[in-house]
Amino acid sequence: MKDMGVPGIMRFSRMGKKRRPRKKNASLGPPLECNSRLRELMATHYLLSRYAQGAKPVAWVTSGAPVEILRPFGFYTFYPENHGALCGAQKMGPELCAEAEEHGYHQDLCSYARIDLGHYFSGKTPVGRLPKPDLLFASNNICQTVVYWYKALAEYWKIPLILFDTPYNFREISKADISYMVRQLEEMIPLLEQISKRRFRYKRFREIVGIAKEASLTWGEVLSTMKARPSPMTIFDAFTHLAPIVSLRGLPAALEHYRALLAELEKRVAQGVGAIKNERWRLMWDNIAIWYKMRDFANLFAERGMNFVTATYTNAWTETIGYLDETKPFESMAKAYSLVILNNNLDHRLQLMERLIQEFQVDGLVIHSARSCKPYSVGQYDLKRLITERLEIPTVVIEADITDSRAYSEEQAMVRLEAFFETLEG
Amino acid sequence: MTEFHSPSRKDYLLKQREMYGRHIFGVFPAQYPRELLWAMNILPVEIWDPPLDLSYASAHLQSYICSIVRLGLEFIVQDKADILDGFLFPHTCDSIQNLSSIVNDYLKPGKPCYFFYHPKWPYRESSHRFYIEQLRDLAAQLGDQVGDLDYTQFQQYAEKGEEVASVMRELYSLRASGELCASNVEFYRTIRQAEFLHPDDLIPLLETFLENSRGSQASETPVILTGVLPNPPEILALLDELKIRVGDDDLLACGRRYLVPPSQAKDPFEALAERYFHMPPCTTINSPIRERLENLISKVEGSNAKGVIFWIVKFCEPELFDMPHLIEGLKKRGLPTLVIDVEPNQELTGQLTTRIEAFVEMLA
Repeated sequence: MKDMGVPGIMRFSRMGKKRRPRKKNASLGPPLECNSRLRELMATHYLLSRYAQGAKPVAWVTSGAPVEILRPFGFYTFYPENHGALCGAQKMGPELCAEAEEHGYHQDLCSYARIDLGHYFSGKTPVGRLPKPDLLFASNNICQTVVYWYKALAEYWKIPLILFDTPYNFREISKADISYMVRQLEEMIPLLEQISKRRFRYKRFREIVGIAKEASLTWGEVLSTMKARPSPMTIFDAFTHLAPIVSLRGLPAALEHYRALLAELEKRVAQGVGAIKNERWRLMWDNIAIWYKMRDFANLFAERGMNFVTATYTNAWTETIGYLDETKPFESMAKAYSLVILNNNLDHRLQLMERLIQEFQVDGLVIHSARSCKPYSVGQYDLKRLITERLEIPTVVIEADITDSRAYSEEQAMVRLEAFFETLEG
Repeated sequence: MTEFHSPSRKDYLLKQREMYGRHIFGVFPAQYPRELLWAMNILPVEIWDPPLDLSYASAHLQSYICSIVRLGLEFIVQDKADILDGFLFPHTCDSIQNLSSIVNDYLKPGKPCYFFYHPKWPYRESSHRFYIEQLRDLAAQLGDQVGDLDYTQFQQYAEKGEEVASVMRELYSLRASGELCASNVEFYRTIRQAEFLHPDDLIPLLETFLENSRGSQASETPVILTGVLPNPPEILALLDELKIRVGDDDLLACGRRYLVPPSQAKDPFEALAERYFHMPPCTTINSPIRERLENLISKVEGSNAKGVIFWIVKFCEPELFDMPHLIEGLKKRGLPTLVIDVEPNQELTGQLTTRIEAFVEMLA
């Protein structure tokens, strides 16, 4: 990404805004130096997106879609789910959801979708302005919900929606599944040429697949540093640093960021610097973050000497990426994108969680039952039971939502967490 | 008007096994190739809304999951599935997708589970090829349990499927034009027999119903139903009482699956594919909302309906997402709409009755 003088712009935008300095929690270790780098990178991404409209074709993309195929056509890609998380972290979720609800969207629907539709109706966003898309690009490898949501957007914007249909892996992936997905990718090319008014460049596409693979593998190495005791970062840091692999996958900027982050984390591991000062217990998180509770939870767990060292969610952007292969880009993308956790059966999820629990030496599991996310949440009660039985570690389920804090009860969550803490501290 | 009393579902299924050696399969909603199953001597029994109280399923599923999924699981965990020889899970939505995995991977009910993934819109050449491959793959998997698919049998049952569709089309057509003298309750009680009857019993049942019900409909106000399934039936009875005739429907369990145009293909695989790709617009195949709206409008025009009732199952994401657009589109055409958000098997509350009555008054 080009340097647009973002630090200067950020400083300028902060002028006149009085912010109370946040009191640092004494239980936390030193913050990551790469945090400011990340803020700059993502601010640049959002800033550039404002100017992309008209200059480049703009695509709104779901987090699990094979974005690599869009990049050779020069699409500027924007991720509504990432924007939803940002709105959630800034506690704008209920306000934007309410905008969508006023237009008939039920409160039981995914809150990322309601935030996005709320933005459509109101124009409200914490990032100033979002680029109007020329194309919607979705894959149902993370949920069917994104397709229902993007269908609504397609209707409002009157723009094309391209779906990458990934057959759910009830069992093993089959040759027919792979061929179907490869053919879909091939069929997309003429459509993308038409929309972008650019020719497909196969060589460039292969290079992009290579960059995406390298960035995802580096992200995997970043997460692996949390195997160290003490862990050099928490899962709350990882949730934040996830943004580039979601939004900038296939671009050199993401790879550069993770290289810098990895170097910092390796240094911290070598020096024995932990993300929390007294890491006594190591935990695993299941499901998407509760974005509006990130800071509170980071403090709450750190004060008890508990550190989240792994999560199924953050792992999702590195788990299957090993399948990517520049020499067979279509076939390898079909595998990499359809074998992701949410497109795989629950037996796979159980095995994955057991492996992560062992590899990261996890002492307890916190499961977020997210009202917004059915494919992530349906089955969690049985997962909890099976993991408790098989691995004999304490587990707890918190009923909440990813961005809509109206679906979260602090009192109820704390009662469950207190019981969990007691069991863990035993 | 003749009343159609079906035998108890369980007695019927037991008899099917005893007399014809049929394998009884529990099939979850919604799109699956039933002609293929019939041809393999499998009798599919659809699991939409078993009349059970929800209790054990709550240990497995959150309260924000729709009742169709919860009731389906309740049916299994209450050991009501002992009569079945297997399960088939089509890929309908996120919740049914994960339900299939809970059952197959975690609960292991001791019966084989099969799965059927149907390609989603937008359809391309690859979708057609994949659908045929899925049919062949399902047949091969089922073959290990029940014996190989006989092509001639498949052809015959594809034709029977066409016969069922043909009678259904005629029933719907007569109803739309006010030439079917049957109450809303009778109509849906009869056509929902298609969820478990073998075509050899279903076709005569539908034909008899058709012949006995031909006749001019008393002057009643027509409406369209859209949503998932007509349960609780007390709502249909209330509509009958209020002199409201359902002129047509866009219900997933009914019209969306039954009103398929005829296929000219001789090959049964091709015929099934053709029917799948030409079924009415539906949320389970990701049809564009504008196509759904056009379809609803054509139903309104075809039956001279005065309003549209959205009969939604609580927490049904696919339906809830399309609803705001559809309501807006219908309102633009001056058509009143009513949304009823209910659980299958729930009692008709006073509040719901009042809302329906108020809607009917508005139509008048």
